[in-house]
Amino acid sequence: MSVAERAVDDVPNPVPSDAADTLVDKQLSEPALVRSPQARKPWLKRKLPQLRAFVFAIISLVLFVALWHVLTENRVSFHVRFINVPSPKQVLEKAEAAFKSAMFFEHARISCRRIGFGFVIAALIAIPLGLVMGRYKMIREFVTPVVEVIRPIPAIAWVPMSIMLWPSNEESIVFITFLGSFFPILLNTIAGMGAVDPVLVRAAQSLGASERQIFRKVYFPACLPSIFTGLAVGMGVAWVSLIAAEMISGQFGIGYFTWEAYSLVQYADIALGMITIGVLGLLSSLLIRLFGNLLMPWKS
Amino acid sequence: MRLVTRHFLPAALAALLLTSAPSQAQTITVGIGTQDTTTNTVNVGAVIRELKLLDKHLPKTGKYEKVTYQLDWQNFTSGPPVTNGMMANKLHFGAMGDYPLVVNGFTFQSNPESKSQLIAVAAYNIFGSGNGLVVHKDSPYFTLDDLKGKLVSVPFGSAAHGMVLKAFQDRGWAPDTIKLVSQTPEVGSTSLQEKKIDGHADFVPFAELLPHRGFARKIFDGVETNAPTWHGVVVRTDFAEKYPEVVVGYLKASIEATEWIKKNPKLAAEKIAEWTGIDKVVVYIFLGPSGIMTMDPTIKPQLVADAAEDAKVLQNLGRMKEFDVKAWVNDSYIRKAYAELGLDYEKAVKSLENYEVSGTDPFCNKPITESRKAGQLWTEEDGITPHASTVCTLGALNAATKAGKKVTKAFVFDSVRQIQLFADQAYFVLAKDASGPQVTPFMLKTEADAAAAKVNGKVGDLAAAAQFVSSGS
Repeated sequence: MSVAERAVDDVPNPVPSDAADTLVDKQLSEPALVRSPQARKPWLKRKLPQLRAFVFAIISLVLFVALWHVLTENRVSFHVRFINVPSPKQVLEKAEAAFKSAMFFEHARISCRRIGFGFVIAALIAIPLGLVMGRYKMIREFVTPVVEVIRPIPAIAWVPMSIMLWPSNEESIVFITFLGSFFPILLNTIAGMGAVDPVLVRAAQSLGASERQIFRKVYFPACLPSIFTGLAVGMGVAWVSLIAAEMISGQFGIGYFTWEAYSLVQYADIALGMITIGVLGLLSSLLIRLFGNLLMPWKS
Repeated sequence: MRLVTRHFLPAALAALLLTSAPSQAQTITVGIGTQDTTTNTVNVGAVIRELKLLDKHLPKTGKYEKVTYQLDWQNFTSGPPVTNGMMANKLHFGAMGDYPLVVNGFTFQSNPESKSQLIAVAAYNIFGSGNGLVVHKDSPYFTLDDLKGKLVSVPFGSAAHGMVLKAFQDRGWAPDTIKLVSQTPEVGSTSLQEKKIDGHADFVPFAELLPHRGFARKIFDGVETNAPTWHGVVVRTDFAEKYPEVVVGYLKASIEATEWIKKNPKLAAEKIAEWTGIDKVVVYIFLGPSGIMTMDPTIKPQLVADAAEDAKVLQNLGRMKEFDVKAWVNDSYIRKAYAELGLDYEKAVKSLENYEVSGTDPFCNKPITESRKAGQLWTEEDGITPHASTVCTLGALNAATKAGKKVTKAFVFDSVRQIQLFADQAYFVLAKDASGPQVTPFMLKTEADAAAAKVNGKVGDLAAAAQFVSSGS
């Protein structure tokens, strides 16, 4: 806990008496829902850590762009060479042109859809599989070798196989993003299962819980934090594999946009594509974190 | 891993020392970006590398007396990565096709350190053959018109893309008459094999290679656009101005490489196949006698004019701004190389002649008079033999088969465009007249059908044609 937060905690909370009464009522009716002490603080003070993080984020991004600007505008060259790296200004010009055309948003929309499909399918398969693999040693021993062999294969190497495996291009692309998400989710789920306190499981068993109930009531909630770590990592890797995946597409997608810019040697457009992938990746990670907070209220 | 670092560290240290002390023994790093799989760049790339011709031709006298050369060969499958390496000053020379060359020159305009210049040509086809459009062999498409409304992939920004755009323009077609998408040769080949796309247009050697591999059929050849296609060499001007003798030495090596291929076409095809992974018969159909490509390093005005056309197309597509092609061409190095080797540049630059199928037909026992109506047969036992006509070629093929010889490939010429064809990919019009069986090869089925209707003949494949020659039916 930082100095600032501690200072906030020390301030006595001037809560109006009637408000305090309703609070007590609420606590009585919902004993499980323990209100955090922060809830009683004024909004601004309560939000201070988040605000600070937000301000820091802005400052760090601005500094990054400023550094990029200085390095490229002065064409700095000290072993690492920024001589031909496009400057933020050049990229911004390209971005303005791109934002005026509906095409660019279509590229982004299609990529999001592909990532979405690949990711959701990966989650739907990897989480149950991870739970089962975590619970039953024999299944784990049986499946792990295959997983460990396939896992390190880079997305770009999958391109030809993926074209041959699936009847449509769209499926081939989704398959590559699926592969990207699948392994982080699976491994984190398994790791989460390994960390579940066996005492909890035995307690549930001694209370007569069935295997299914133990899965639903003990293992799954206990694993959720790890699963969400896996989901966040998996989402990131799905975006990492996007350019490889969209080499197949031939016409749409932000990965395709970047690849095409490369084949026409348009460096500013390449940078624009990279940044767009970065931003979309960030937004999707935020979405997952938000969803995680909703599902795991005890964590926030 | 340890081995690499052990060698890398001293090497890196040595490089550092050498760059900081240029007055003593000097190392010049020569970075050359090649496209091994793009067969018509081998005479400026793979062949020089493998025959170590630079060791022979790089300057070793005067200011180069104490110089050691470090050759850095880098191989890519298309032009843009070569341009990227050149922009980053990792490569000094780059070999690529006409469109990527223009993009290269344009991209370098914004480079403050150096520009790029076109210094030589590797090979060309003055009518545009080499690029082509293929479909799956089981597809019902036989002409470009059949592909209207269909999906065709082509590597955008390549010479093949230019061919497709030119074909549209010639026909007055709207840009969306055929739906074009961008795929690299690797992705396009697999997609075509899996019938994910209706057609794939590509540059050398894919329009010949994919049919040869057995799943594709060529239905459009770049020759129909009547616009040249070619590959050439660009150099960074900062490097060229500092070491002009190195540039001339490199071009002399490429001239020797070309001569070696022309003198030993069969051996060259076999060796190049070994070095680049492209099948030897595909190499041979491009670089052999009467091949699709003419290897000639001189910078011909027709090719410069074509580059200007390419620049216009790229501008119309919004891919490029102003670019002065004329200022980008620099033929002084290749002229110097010609002079130093005692060759006549003026004569060469005016000539559009290729080396042709020649000699005496060992089957029909007569000399080759019209090389573009001749044929060739490649068997494992006898090597490559020239044949005076299609009928002679097929007769020799029958004899070889009968004798139990292993036939590698037979080659004939399209009677419409005079470009060399794999006999097993051609359509033959079979007819009889007073002088005996007449066999005329065609690249396109539609043209063969039309010709057959005219002479009251029939259309057959290689097996039917061979049968027709041996039995007359």
